[in-house]
Amino acid sequence: MRAFRAGLSLQAALLWRSPGNLHVLATVPLYTLILLAMTDASHQAGLAPNAIIAPTLMALWTMALFTAGDLIDRDRHDGTLEPTVATPAPLAQVITGRICAVTAASLIAFAEAWVVGLCFGVHLSVHHPLTLVVGILTTSLTTACTAALIATLLVLTRGGRPYQNSLSFPFYLLSGIVVPIEVLPHWVHPISRIIYLSWSADLLRSAFRPEEPRQLPMQLIALGLLAAAGLACASVLMRRVLDRVRILGTLGHA
Amino acid sequence: MNPRLPSKALTVLRHGSAIAVADLAAVYTWKTWLFGWLVRMLSQVVFFTLVGRLTDAGHNEQFLVIGNALMVCAIEATMVVASSAWERSLGTMPLLVAAPTHLAWTFIVRSLQWVISGTVSSLVALFTLGPAFGLRWTLNSAAAAVLLVLLTALGTYCFGLALAALVADQPALRNIVSNVAYLGMMALCGVQVPVHYWPQPLQLLAQFLPLTHELEALRGVLQGAPVLRILGRAVLGVITGVGWLAVAVVVFGWAARRGRRTGAIEFGT
Repeated sequence: MRAFRAGLSLQAALLWRSPGNLHVLATVPLYTLILLAMTDASHQAGLAPNAIIAPTLMALWTMALFTAGDLIDRDRHDGTLEPTVATPAPLAQVITGRICAVTAASLIAFAEAWVVGLCFGVHLSVHHPLTLVVGILTTSLTTACTAALIATLLVLTRGGRPYQNSLSFPFYLLSGIVVPIEVLPHWVHPISRIIYLSWSADLLRSAFRPEEPRQLPMQLIALGLLAAAGLACASVLMRRVLDRVRILGTLGHA
Repeated sequence: MNPRLPSKALTVLRHGSAIAVADLAAVYTWKTWLFGWLVRMLSQVVFFTLVGRLTDAGHNEQFLVIGNALMVCAIEATMVVASSAWERSLGTMPLLVAAPTHLAWTFIVRSLQWVISGTVSSLVALFTLGPAFGLRWTLNSAAAAVLLVLLTALGTYCFGLALAALVADQPALRNIVSNVAYLGMMALCGVQVPVHYWPQPLQLLAQFLPLTHELEALRGVLQGAPVLRILGRAVLGVITGVGWLAVAVVVFGWAARRGRRTGAIEFGT
């Protein structure tokens, strides 16, 4: 647990000192403003949750993709991965702590989007506060697990890095974070459901509707399974990567 | 005035362009550009265009697909802010400042790769996604679109260049400035909602951005507006772009002088 806390505080300090790593948070108010204007949210209240939730999920995903996704590779490039692996602290705990710090920082996006909505004249009514809280927590957990997988994959597959920047809008589109996936062709739906953002978007939106969130158990199970799958894959891959680079002697190979 | 100056500037411009082309080849292979970058940008266009379906205003889709397809080249052109900061992290910035020529000549051309890539990306979006959302192209309108996309990319590049000069001393802000700049344009320039949607001061601000005028010209082409009106907007876009280029040249000069005086130009990210 000490290693986890050390990773958490290290990453918090790094984020604080390098505001460039938090540039995603600067985009949230603008994305929110754009979506609120596009959906004419001040006159069509039913669409306001879509416009507020989408930029939050976009920020979570982008931070997971870039800031958290780059952690191991950046350490490797900076030459700090070797001493980190050489310490008695388990690398997985350190990395998990760091990823949790990034995910926690991403949650600022929710407050940003909410404030922009208020300034725009949109007053959201939370009909199911518990659903909202549970939705934010499970989404954060699944984001952290997915970020761990991305971080490991980017170390394992050097060829995948050029595509890193491409995993944003295709995922937003497929997961229906603004426009529900029902609008997309039927053959896309199974792909959408593999992306955790689709479950998160549905879950969070249901907190703002007066109807009972009947899908809540299924949404939570789906998010839990996707989080577990991400974490399991990340753990297995991390072990393999470390074994391989130790044998090849390329741990510090930038 | 030294008569050798123009030829010196031309030499710098030529070498700078060669760096831009080399950078394009270094950043992308045809596979990563086609299956990575282009897929991302086309998805963005579809993502925002489909938002039109939420508001029960199907006719909005043509408005949105034109705006978002043109926005693609504006996004790429704004990447000049980030790539200009690379000189600093590469350690070449002090050498450029020490060189016996104006600092701006190098930066004006060294990121032109984004104009090339952005123009092609936007045209692919207009000609492939456009018809799927109801756009009808003729030979004349397609030719006009090619020119307008190129002018948009160049004009926005000049705007980005001015921003790059402004943050020359603060390379850590490059991504924030670049992202806020293109999202600001996306909001204000009539890409997602008409310019008149915003309060008067913001409408006025939009008039200083090349994208506003070139987008209006492109929509005019597709809606069969009078040629003079289209030309007028296109020229306004060019004028604003040239204005931003002048700002960039002046501010790069200030940055170089300030850097020499304070010794602030060094390695940095």
